[in-house]
Amino acid sequence: MEYRSQKIAYWYFVAALPLFVLQVFLGLYLGSSYAFTIPQEIVDVFSFATARAMHTNLLVLWMLLGFMGGAYYIVPEETQSEIYSPGLAYFQLVALLVTGVVALIGFFFGWTQGRPLLEIPRPLDLVVVVGALIFLFNIGMTMLKANRWTVIQGTLLGGLVFLALLYLFGIPFYKNEVIDWYYWWWVIHLWVEGAWELVTGAILAFILMKLTGVDRQVVEKWLYVEIGLFLFTGLAGTGHHYYWLGAPRYWLWIGGIFSALEPLPIILMVFVTMHHVKERKAKIINPLTWTYAIGCAVMHFIGAGVWGFLHTLPQINYYTHGSQVTVSHGHLAFFGAYALLNLTTFYFAMPKIKGIEVFDDRRGKIGFWTMNVAMMIMGLTFGVAGVLQAYIERVLGMGYMTAQSYMRLWMLVTIIAGVFFLAGLLTTVTDLFTLRPAKQEA
Amino acid sequence: MTKKTAFWIFLLGTLSSAVLFLAATWDTHRQVATLSNVDKLSEQVVAGKRAFEKYNCNDCHTILGFGGYYAPDLTKVVQRIGADGIRYRVKSPELAFANSWRKMPNLNVSDAEIEDLVAFFTWVGEINNNDWPPQDSKKRLSRGEQAMVATVGVSPGAAVFQTKGCMNCHALNGTGGTFGPALDTIGRELSAAEIRTYVRDPKSVDPKSRMPAQTGLSDRELEEVAKFLSNRK
Repeated sequence: MEYRSQKIAYWYFVAALPLFVLQVFLGLYLGSSYAFTIPQEIVDVFSFATARAMHTNLLVLWMLLGFMGGAYYIVPEETQSEIYSPGLAYFQLVALLVTGVVALIGFFFGWTQGRPLLEIPRPLDLVVVVGALIFLFNIGMTMLKANRWTVIQGTLLGGLVFLALLYLFGIPFYKNEVIDWYYWWWVIHLWVEGAWELVTGAILAFILMKLTGVDRQVVEKWLYVEIGLFLFTGLAGTGHHYYWLGAPRYWLWIGGIFSALEPLPIILMVFVTMHHVKERKAKIINPLTWTYAIGCAVMHFIGAGVWGFLHTLPQINYYTHGSQVTVSHGHLAFFGAYALLNLTTFYFAMPKIKGIEVFDDRRGKIGFWTMNVAMMIMGLTFGVAGVLQAYIERVLGMGYMTAQSYMRLWMLVTIIAGVFFLAGLLTTVTDLFTLRPAKQEA
Repeated sequence: MTKKTAFWIFLLGTLSSAVLFLAATWDTHRQVATLSNVDKLSEQVVAGKRAFEKYNCNDCHTILGFGGYYAPDLTKVVQRIGADGIRYRVKSPELAFANSWRKMPNLNVSDAEIEDLVAFFTWVGEINNNDWPPQDSKKRLSRGEQAMVATVGVSPGAAVFQTKGCMNCHALNGTGGTFGPALDTIGRELSAAEIRTYVRDPKSVDPKSRMPAQTGLSDRELEEVAKFLSNRK
């Protein structure tokens, strides 16, 4: 750690991790709701809908906290200056956390906007917007004052501003359900396949540059190509969500063609990561951090690239849209692209903030592999359930619950994998909270 | 490739995609009025959408394929189970899903809100959305329905069974509701005359029966559907 204000990042990471754990606990409840019969009395007070709202909002909250922490860590080094106002940064962390907790408790009592993933009620949305503005102001002022612009900084700031702007499209009440979903995807799709990819690209480029010692000019050149391809395929690729919602038919063409190209930037990302690792000019000091960086690129490719591509063509999507196939893709993609990116950041930054040069990574390795294997299995079992659903319900037309009864076994296997995932996650979180120097090898 | 070339790839890629996307967005706004029948988007439909959001229905059910995946898609729910089917399920889910291994919460939705919901679903069901979902597509009738339609020509009773709401609760060939028993082999247990008596007033046969008396059927319709069902053996 070279700058004192990088310490801010530590508290963002510390806040994010328990939320991740809570998210997984709720996920296990959701899985149980598929495999077992939850009695009417419980369903009446704590429904699947409430638990799902918590599960998904926790995901967004912890990942955004992770990104923000990442930004607070990277920006001082990139601008070679301290953060403009550490006080504001801490205030904003507390404000976001309080908003998040109020929202979660509110869901339990039915206080909701009632739109999937955007359940946070409108009054709280305003607090979120104020929090985001404070964050952008703080980061922006730091960069402006330093005036040492780099492509990594620009991409990071661009991604964060884009992210905040898109959130606004999720706030109004739309009378027309078609328009409602049209703009819902401006938040959801353009986040995960636009703004978040920019942030991810910038963070990963920064970490790879620092880890491998590859020349900034090379790293930033490839970053340009990456984000160019991400936005080229991702913006118009939003069309793959517009097939069946009452939008004109040409979206089948736009969505089909552009989203077929969407794996390209991710393939490039894997290629560039491997290239930088191979051409490294620095020694591998903490192998686990490298493992995470490569794992992130590879799982990003599998979850977002391959799984996304699999059911993005209209002819296939007609049968898989809104089934467990979507769930399979959602889990693998979010984990591969964004959970691993955040954990990569944590494993890169937290030892440095604590002043540990070489950390003991034995527990961390177990955590990494347990989570990855468990999530891969979950992706497959959700996928099998989804294919069964698509065939039985949509092709044979045998009724929703008939299909669900065939899927039950696979949802049970998913829960078991989920328990392993939780074990891996708890190991990882414990490890991150209690990092210690590696014993000197004799 | 130089860094400058890379910058131009970024700029042109982003701009071209953004221009296409925004142009298509503008055109979509132009066409949505027709595709979603905006002339029928009444105040009650909007009230229904508000109720739909108030009770967070969308985090279990999908609509237009979006939302939770825990309960059936509601895009064509009116076509599938009818307005009465919706009213019954929302009003008394604990009864409607008593036999189901997956439950729906009773959220104490008011009668007025239920009517708003019905208006909302009716409007959504008429959106021109490229014939999705497949299971409700009339062009791609499900196998179960195809089997049934094939019998309509020879049996007016099959037509009554399909069109008079029996399938809201009962299934044949794997198609239909699950509130009542499937009737694929009902002819082994009941004769046509017994079916007629039961359907007219179920409680006269079994006081604990949950099936509502079917007073809306004409004598002729009752006779045909009873004959049709008594042949399911």
